[in-house]
Amino acid sequence: MLADALEHLVRGIVDSPEDVKVTAKNNRRGETLEVHVHQDDLGRVIGRQGRTARALRTVIAALAGGESVRVDVVDTDRRR
Amino acid sequence: MSADTTPEIHSAAESVEPTDTVDETAQSASPSRVEEEGDVAADYLEELLDIADVDGDIDIEVRNGRTYISIDAEEESATLQELVGRDGEVLEALQELTRLSVLSATGNRSRLVLDITGYRVERNGELNRIAEEAVAKVKNDGVAVALAPMGAYERKIVHDAVADLGFASESEGEGPNRHIVVSATE
Repeated sequence: MLADALEHLVRGIVDSPEDVKVTAKNNRRGETLEVHVHQDDLGRVIGRQGRTARALRTVIAALAGGESVRVDVVDTDRRR
Repeated sequence: MSADTTPEIHSAAESVEPTDTVDETAQSASPSRVEEEGDVAADYLEELLDIADVDGDIDIEVRNGRTYISIDAEEESATLQELVGRDGEVLEALQELTRLSVLSATGNRSRLVLDITGYRVERNGELNRIAEEAVAKVKNDGVAVALAPMGAYERKIVHDAVADLGFASESEGEGPNRHIVVSATE
C-alpha cells in the first residue's frame, strides 16, 4: 500500500508519470521505498532544498502509522 | 559534473506565498481554470484515499478566486487524523504536493487550501484568539508582543485579525523562526 501511495503521489507531480517506479526493500531497520523517476523530473521530486522530497516522506510516514519507512529518491541514470 | 548542480525546480512551495502580505486579488484566475484546479486536486487526493483505503468525502469550494478543498469523514477516522499530523504538519505536506499536482497538470501555480477534518477551521478560531490576546496585551502593557513562529498561511490570518482590531503587525525572523510581532499603530 505504501509503495502504491508513494507512486501515485509522485506520478501526479512529474512530467513523465510513466517513468515513475517505486520499489520496496526490506532490511533490518525497516522498509525502504526507492523512487525512480525520469532524470528530468528529479528536481521536481526533490524540490527546492529538498522540500518536496520532505513532503513525500512526511505523508508516507503518516500513512505508515508509526512504522519506520525510508523514502529514497534514486537517480536512475546515475546508479552504481 | 552537471548532475551535481542543484536541479532547477519550479517548486511552487516556496514561491507561492513568498510573503505574508500576499495580494489576494493578484490571482485573476478564470472560472474554468479555477474549476480545473479543483478537479485535478480532488482526483489526486481521492486516489490517494482509495489506495490508503481511507473513507473520506472530498469537497471543493471556491471563495474569492481561491480553491478550498476539504476532506471529511462521517465517522472519526484515525487515518485522516494521521493525515493532519501534529500541528498540521502532514496536512501542510499534503497541501504542498496537491498544489504541485495542479502545477504539473495545468502549468499553473496553485494556491489552493487543503483542510482535513476541519483542522484549519478550528485553527482559525485559535489564531483569532491569539491575535485578540496579543492586541489586549499591547493595549494594556504598551509593549510589542512577539508570537510563536507560524507558517505563511497562518501568519496571514493573524495579520488580518490584528488589522481588523486596529493594531499593527509585522513578520520578523527567517525560515522556521518567522513570527509575528504585534504593536500599536503609530
